[in-house]
Amino acid sequence: MFNETVLKEIDEIKGRYPDFRSALLPALYVAQREFGWLSHEAMSYVARTLNLPEAMVRGTASFYSMFKHKEAGRHLIQLCTNVSCMILGAERLVDFLRTKYGMEPDNTTQDGRFSLVIMECIGACGTAPAMLVNTDFYDNLTEGKIEEILDKYK
Amino acid sequence: MGKILLKNIENSNSADINEYLKIGGYKSLIKAFEMQPKDIIGEIRESGLRGRGGAGFPTAMKWSFAFADTKFPKYLICNADEGEPGTFKDRPILEKNPHLLIEGMVISGYAIGAEHGYVYLRGEYPYAKEVLNKAIAQAYEKNYLGDNILGENIKFHLTVYQGAGAYICGEETALIESLEGKRGQPRSKPPFPVNVGAWAMPTIINNVETLSNIPYIISVGGAGYSKIGARECTGPKLYSVSGCVEKPGVYELPMGTILRDIIFNYAGGIKSGKKLKAVFPGGISTPVLPADNIDCPMDFISMPRFGSMLGSGAVIVMDESVCMVKVAYRALKFFEHESCGKCTPCREGTDWLRKILERIECGKGREGDIELLSEVVDIMYGRCFCPLGDSAAGLVMSMIKHFRNEFEEHIRDKKCKNQK
Amino acid sequence: MITITVNGKEIQIDKPMTVLEAAKKAGIKIPTLCHHELLESYGGCRLCVVEVERMPKLQNACTLLAADGMVIRTESEVISKVRSEMLELLLINHPLDCAYCDKAGECELQDLVNKYGPTVGRYKEEKRKVPESHTDPIFARHMGRCVVCTRCVRMCDTVQGASAISMIERGGRTRMEPFSSTSFNCEYCGNCLTVCPVGAILSRLYIHSYRPWQVDKEIKTICPYCGVGCSLFVQVRDNSIKRVIPKIGQGLNNGLLCSRGRFGYEFIESQERLKSPLVKEKGKFKQSTWNEAFHFVAGRLMEIRELHGGKAIAGIASPRCTNEDNYVFQKFMRMACRTNNIDSISRIGFAAAQKYIEDLLGQGVTSNIIDGLKNSDAILVIGGDPTAVNPILGLAIRAAARNGANVIVVGNAKGLVPIIRDKTLRIIHPVFREADVLELLLTNIFKTQDVRAEKPAIDKRIKELSEKPVKMDIKEMEKLVKILLGSNSISIVAGMELVQRVDGHRSLFAIAALTYLLEARLFLLSEKPNEQGLIDMGCLPDMLPGGRPINVGDFKHKFEAAWKESIPQDKGITLMEMIGAIRNKDIKALYIMGENPVFNLPNGHYIREALESLDFLVVQDIFLTETAELADVVLPALGWAEKDGTYTNLERRVQLLKRAIDSSSGIEDWKIISEISSIMGYEMDYSSAEKIMEEIAKVSPLYRDLTYKEIGAGDCLWPYHGEPLRGELNEVPVAVDITQDYKADFYLAIEKPLFHSGTLSRRASALRKICPEPTLKISPQHAGKLKLKEGDRVNISTAQGTISVPVSIDASITDNRVLLSNNFENKGVFNLLNFSLDKVTKAPGIEGCEVKIERK
Ligand SMILES: Cc1cc2nc3c(=O)[nH]c(=O)nc-3n(C[C@H](O)[C@H](O)[C@H](O)COP(=O)(O)O)c2cc1C
Ligand code: SF4
Ligand code: FES
Repeated sequence: MFNETVLKEIDEIKGRYPDFRSALLPALYVAQREFGWLSHEAMSYVARTLNLPEAMVRGTASFYSMFKHKEAGRHLIQLCTNVSCMILGAERLVDFLRTKYGMEPDNTTQDGRFSLVIMECIGACGTAPAMLVNTDFYDNLTEGKIEEILDKYK
Repeated sequence: MGKILLKNIENSNSADINEYLKIGGYKSLIKAFEMQPKDIIGEIRESGLRGRGGAGFPTAMKWSFAFADTKFPKYLICNADEGEPGTFKDRPILEKNPHLLIEGMVISGYAIGAEHGYVYLRGEYPYAKEVLNKAIAQAYEKNYLGDNILGENIKFHLTVYQGAGAYICGEETALIESLEGKRGQPRSKPPFPVNVGAWAMPTIINNVETLSNIPYIISVGGAGYSKIGARECTGPKLYSVSGCVEKPGVYELPMGTILRDIIFNYAGGIKSGKKLKAVFPGGISTPVLPADNIDCPMDFISMPRFGSMLGSGAVIVMDESVCMVKVAYRALKFFEHESCGKCTPCREGTDWLRKILERIECGKGREGDIELLSEVVDIMYGRCFCPLGDSAAGLVMSMIKHFRNEFEEHIRDKKCKNQK
Repeated sequence: MITITVNGKEIQIDKPMTVLEAAKKAGIKIPTLCHHELLESYGGCRLCVVEVERMPKLQNACTLLAADGMVIRTESEVISKVRSEMLELLLINHPLDCAYCDKAGECELQDLVNKYGPTVGRYKEEKRKVPESHTDPIFARHMGRCVVCTRCVRMCDTVQGASAISMIERGGRTRMEPFSSTSFNCEYCGNCLTVCPVGAILSRLYIHSYRPWQVDKEIKTICPYCGVGCSLFVQVRDNSIKRVIPKIGQGLNNGLLCSRGRFGYEFIESQERLKSPLVKEKGKFKQSTWNEAFHFVAGRLMEIRELHGGKAIAGIASPRCTNEDNYVFQKFMRMACRTNNIDSISRIGFAAAQKYIEDLLGQGVTSNIIDGLKNSDAILVIGGDPTAVNPILGLAIRAAARNGANVIVVGNAKGLVPIIRDKTLRIIHPVFREADVLELLLTNIFKTQDVRAEKPAIDKRIKELSEKPVKMDIKEMEKLVKILLGSNSISIVAGMELVQRVDGHRSLFAIAALTYLLEARLFLLSEKPNEQGLIDMGCLPDMLPGGRPINVGDFKHKFEAAWKESIPQDKGITLMEMIGAIRNKDIKALYIMGENPVFNLPNGHYIREALESLDFLVVQDIFLTETAELADVVLPALGWAEKDGTYTNLERRVQLLKRAIDSSSGIEDWKIISEISSIMGYEMDYSSAEKIMEEIAKVSPLYRDLTYKEIGAGDCLWPYHGEPLRGELNEVPVAVDITQDYKADFYLAIEKPLFHSGTLSRRASALRKICPEPTLKISPQHAGKLKLKEGDRVNISTAQGTISVPVSIDASITDNRVLLSNNFENKGVFNLLNFSLDKVTKAPGIEGCEVKIERK
């Protein structure tokens, strides 16, 4: 279950909206931060904390692609391959991640270091191709640049 | 035209309230508080401002509906979901000029009688969230937000709500559902959000760029503002240019700037001297234009005459090396992934189209596939619950119309000629 | 007034509605898959497209509001084409396994495709795979067949209020999950099954056993479980019940059911049904013929009547038997056995409450329409969880809450907790002190609202009470008073926990007074299907049919004239007094019709001892119950679905029960009794249940002129053509105050589970699968203190004995009570409880039983 501080945080979030159901998305973010991903257990904590039916919590959480329903590796790479990125070679980068690091979309590397998720547009089309590693933004990507960046994430 | 929306953003500290105040920030707010709400709406009407979220709906008209509704409380929502592929125009405002948006929102709230505003910010903008929250804290500190703003009996609170990765939440009713903590599925209209919106109360939803125009309109007056841009489509517009151009980026230009100008003049022309092949003028939800059809004024009224739409003004430029089947496939993958699942034509149609396109692209196209694509497009078009499904159909339709030969080649040669 | 034209037909409507609804009013059906009349519009399937003049695109009838002057066409070539195309899209990922699917024949998708096409599909790609799960005991789910209409989700969420189903993921991956399993609040109402248009949700009870068009007959009858009295349609093939369904527009449940009503019917065809009369010889049962049995029983009863007089005989009637059975039963007891010792298990609940409150406020005060609850702006719930005891009534409370009504719960009502998210629920935990809470509420209301000066006895008592108000600190009291005083339409829903208190009459007075002061509507929860009917039929020691007091000469003489025999002089005694009298040897013979007191009364051991000491015990039943085992003679009766008759529900609606299947082993209760009565010299020769109702309609001033024809037509509502009694008490009966502190570690209380009812549901195998064994419900806090995890086995002991069951942690309990149900063999909570009588209602007070819990 959540610790006291987290419960307080969720309580505070509830107060910002006319109806506390609005706290569901923020609370799911909190749960994801606390547990790394949204296991059934984590979602049931959220349900209990907000007194919402568990099915409702699951249904809502599963709608949004930024909620992780699988345990992820230590670092989450979210690479955009939408049109602007694609025409500037994003797919080559996917191949590169595959061959060089053994990453597969929606999977985690054997050593648990990286998980790769293919993203829809992340609003960096002007500096495409682009990706997020955890919450850090990187753009104008090339194979070389990716190697340099990933070196920082052990 | 000097910069209005992107003013001062070269200044590395532009997000700070003191920098904003230095260039005359929050002066419009003071001026607006001296006006009656209905007069503010009058100025907006006179300015001719149209919403920048994609549909180009006259902002003053929307406001006056909410203004006329007697239910309280009312809510103001800033649509910062910016999910349309190719679009990144709201980001510089959010990250570098947040006080412009805040000022715009306080004025708007005052005009329509809302005391609480929400910024629905896309989940993929964590940095913007940080900047916005900091800016909001500063605005509270300086009493531009709060219970008695600037000592007046005017109240406005602002909360940032983080989306979680769903393009459809940019659609206003889906956005409301999401803000209410639900799955982001569009609601049927009517009733419109201006009457029954967030928590069933009258709600105004405007795009970031739309709201950021408000302070300027107040400062120069509606008539002054309407001198910028095209007739009936006034003001400055942010165009985000991406793809195969030398200088991609966000350009603030008068509404109605010619597309060719944007690409060849401002964005520096096609990268590496290649030839232009096609353009999405307003994000992938707008029909594609072939290279010979880009002398169009980029505004809400003119674009339909050229067979496309202004959309969010996201210009995606494709050169001769880009495979259009692949683009269509990738776009449909996006629409299929983002379809909310509520209505039959969108849920099943995008999936079907994607599967056919995927086959054609990887060399498994069959005789009759192009006709089949057109038939599926016909089934979908105009039948979907919200514009998402229609856009997907529209895109395929425009691709076949302008690049039929490429589709035929793929089917005939059983491969994409770009692949070795 | 809005006028629209649909297919050339002018339709006038007086309130805003969609084109779909308006067309329906005119008998024009527009096809839909996602729309369902019990649910709000959704607009997903896009099959309801229509042409509207002057609108460029086709419009969706289910979301389009009818506007004056609209000219609409619902069928055309273009429309058919679109419908066919939408259906094609729905079929591309559908398994097309119609030959194997149980829905065939009533599949909306199949029927639509049949009408609109397409005949061939153009889709050649791979079909989507939908994850399937086959673990549920009741629901067979084939989600590959799902058409994403979300009817089940919306039904579960907005009508049932359980919210156990949700749409999962989005786009083409959208599916409906997770349904059942307790952690998802599934209430197994099966209402999702009703609305599913395709074969995605089916019931395992009938899967692959028949096709819908293969039923021999479909009989409309009434549910055997609770006092709501939902209408059921029993589908029969080869003299066996295949399925039970509700129907929209039929009965007060209007298309909805609960788990018991829908899935609980299997008991009727149980292998354990009694097959022939049994007579005990030397402690062993021997099968006997009906004739032998009749003569034996009549002979023994006559012997005892001659030897000790009628007052040595007593009878227990049954709230599961029909009005006709109960009418004949009390007539038999009074006329043939010469005794007024008639009562029923309803004494420990409904009957005691109903009679006390009608005595105060006049007959009819509890007859309010369940559906009307939805329109309340405030609802006070006390003494039980309506969503478990009377589920369909519970739904009306949830609906009211959704409409914005304030719901105030005194005590536990687990099934109402989910509506907290609607911000309208308040809960007060009285821990057995309901009477104090209610009196406090009453006196607080009296402070601002004077008496109505219509009922002097009540006015006087209210004033007395406010002179020495209860000392109790309730945080929310001020708010509650404000809510109640600020509401126009107040309903009070009272459960029978109230009665099972030593000071039960205090609570009953308080709710009666609140009903009177606030001009509220009062609903008494009723656990069994015919508790009201039982009272109306005179199965009380001091009341004749129609609620006529036995000691009033006028009434008495009228009945004596009709029954052609005098009514016995001796005052009859109530149920718990009977047990005492049996132990004192004052009563020698007991005749029990369809009841199991050894299991269903507190302190089972004590009751058993009493019954064992009888000279003669007759039990009529459909199973060899714990009580029947003690009998000298056991007579197999017919059960629900095997006989005709009527039930009177808690609204006092009289409804028709119809025979659906034939049984070879039993005889109707009324027929058994008539035979015995005739042998005993009091002739009874009814040829059918209907004939009995004819007599009732003649002699009972309340059911005057009622006929099966009228009852069968529905809406046979209070006050019928009868004359309600207006007599009221001059003095409110009160007993000495009892105050008690509840300071022990744990107290044992009765759980009323949603999935069971009495001991009947033991033999309903579907209900057994949903809820197979009893558990001890305990609050999370106390479970933590005792270091108990879900499923740990514990011994629970009281002075009466020890039972060993697993624990189940229940967050809706917040105090030091632990709950155990009384529905499972050998593990009934009543075995552990003791009682003392409420001096006024004569109901057993069973609260505050201290209990020890030890881990096993
Ligand atoms: C599928 C879809 C996605 C949309 N996404 C966005 C978006 O990301 N940002 C936005 O401002 N408007 C978006 N819109 C438009 C909004 O529905 C709405 O029209 C807009 O927020 C209104 O603001 P405006 O009047 O200021 O343009 C989207 C619409 C649709 C149908
Ligand atoms: S509510 Fe009562 S009467 Fe209705 S189905 Fe359920 S148990 Fe039967
Ligand atoms: S398409 Fe990749 S960031 Fe926009």
